[in-house]
Amino acid sequence: MAVVPLQAVFRGDFVTLLVLVDDKDTMKVVADKIAYHVINRRLPPQNAPIRVQYNHRALPPDQTVAQAGILPLSFVEVYYDARDRRHA
Amino acid sequence: MPKLERSEWYDLSRDMNWQFKYVRDTEVFPEALSESKGIPPKTWWNWDEPYKISYRDYVKNQAEKESGVYAVRSALARSGFFENLDPGWKAAIIAHYGVFAMPEYLAALGEARMGRFGRAAAWRNMALFGTLDEIRHGQLQFSFPHALLNREPRFDWAHKAFHTNQWAAIALRHLFDDMLTANDAVSMAIQLTFVIETGFTNLHFLGLAADAMKTGDVEFSTLISSIQTDEARHAQQGEPTLRLLIEHGKKAEAQRLIDVMFWRGWRAFALLTGPATDYYTPLAHRRQSFKEFMVEWIIKQFNDQFRDLGLERPWYWDLFLQELDWLHHALHLGLWFKRPTLWWNPDAGVSVEEREWLEAKYPGWHDRFGTYWHTIAENLRLGNIDRTHQETLLSVCNMCQIPVCSPAVGVPPRQVMHAGRVYTFCSEPCQWIFEQNPARYAGHLSIIDRFLAGHIQPADMAGVRAYMGLSPAEQGADATNYSWAFELPQAALKSVA
Repeated sequence: MAVVPLQAVFRGDFVTLLVLVDDKDTMKVVADKIAYHVINRRLPPQNAPIRVQYNHRALPPDQTVAQAGILPLSFVEVYYDARDRRHA
Repeated sequence: MPKLERSEWYDLSRDMNWQFKYVRDTEVFPEALSESKGIPPKTWWNWDEPYKISYRDYVKNQAEKESGVYAVRSALARSGFFENLDPGWKAAIIAHYGVFAMPEYLAALGEARMGRFGRAAAWRNMALFGTLDEIRHGQLQFSFPHALLNREPRFDWAHKAFHTNQWAAIALRHLFDDMLTANDAVSMAIQLTFVIETGFTNLHFLGLAADAMKTGDVEFSTLISSIQTDEARHAQQGEPTLRLLIEHGKKAEAQRLIDVMFWRGWRAFALLTGPATDYYTPLAHRRQSFKEFMVEWIIKQFNDQFRDLGLERPWYWDLFLQELDWLHHALHLGLWFKRPTLWWNPDAGVSVEEREWLEAKYPGWHDRFGTYWHTIAENLRLGNIDRTHQETLLSVCNMCQIPVCSPAVGVPPRQVMHAGRVYTFCSEPCQWIFEQNPARYAGHLSIIDRFLAGHIQPADMAGVRAYMGLSPAEQGADATNYSWAFELPQAALKSVA
């Protein structure tokens, strides 16, 4: 278990945040940790799953930070995946 | 005793240039402090400026200015004017003193460096007056807030801010070290006096004095006007320095120095002056928007000067123009969300009327920024105050040290690996400045770097605020105690939702 600081933006928000995640966190957990700082604070919630994008690629929800090879201070973008509202 | 006309003695008394016989020129003017840019010593003696003031005139003028400023303060001392000022305006001046008072002393150091290492006697003479000016500005901008301490303890931050690790103070120290304390005389003449003083602060202070007068803050208006008249004089050191560089084949270097500092100045200006102009200044007293001010005054003047001197606009000019529409709105939102990390109470400035004004001045503001404020207002009405704070740090740029804001969807910050360390930049120009001279900037730690390096303990938001020197009583709060959120009628909410 190791803390990985990420620079993250929630699509539609105005600023990049420093968010601390764990290298064992799945992308689902990473998405939730980032969304916590944005959704219902500046952006309204949506009935859709939240995805994590890293290096221009959407990562599988069950993939961990370590598996994805995300390095400390990397930039990730998270967003509501409107194409997949059923699985929200 | 017969008196000579000033024109008959002025140049002789001022231009005490001579060729050194017992020491080398490079010993008197070390490159690190003076930077000849390859221009021969005697060529620098052609340096000239239009003010041509004598020491006797200088002292007489300054004494009169001092008398005028302190007379106004004495007259207003018991008037209770401060209590009657708008909360947003109070925020603007409390922020102003923390931002400007200490840097005036740093500017005095810079002027003194030009006063010693400037390449011509005429220049050193002008820089001596500049040094005295800046000391005066520092003293004034400590003395005035000090007199208001019994009304607002946070005027203490006029002195305190630069001695803390508050994030904006870190950003300003980084800027002023680059421009002043760690700069050579020639670069400083261009970057401080041409770019920042002639380009930004001289015009800004004219507008600020007018705004203060309209707002009823006669004291602040008088103070700023008095400072501005000094700036208009000593800022004249930049243009003759630039002309010499251009005339002697150093146009590219002059352009580089301008491009670096224009961007750095713009970022700081957007952070501090943008919100004060478009959000803190009472609506009834706003003469024009921040963008209108930038276009009508700052951009016009720079365009004229670039044309007159044969220089180009900075290579990132189009990006700069785009940022006029959004950057300071984003930074204002960031300042407001991180208000406990400020030494002033930021005015949200988004009542119904103010939102209409913002939309009129910045078409599209409702869609881009109004929606955030809608969610914030809703949280305030529901009592969800916690959700109107940011429980994590905002990423900051490793050059300007200002939060990394997004211009649009899908525009990531720029990241560079240098000597095994990741550097994050908010924009292409900030990355470009770093890459001009990585050794100059690489060792600096941003507030994020310090947090991750374990310098901040406990490593949480309370620890961050303590690290920044902000006791609970000093931490910023909404200037109007959220009144704007409760004034918003439902119809207006629907229109922006």
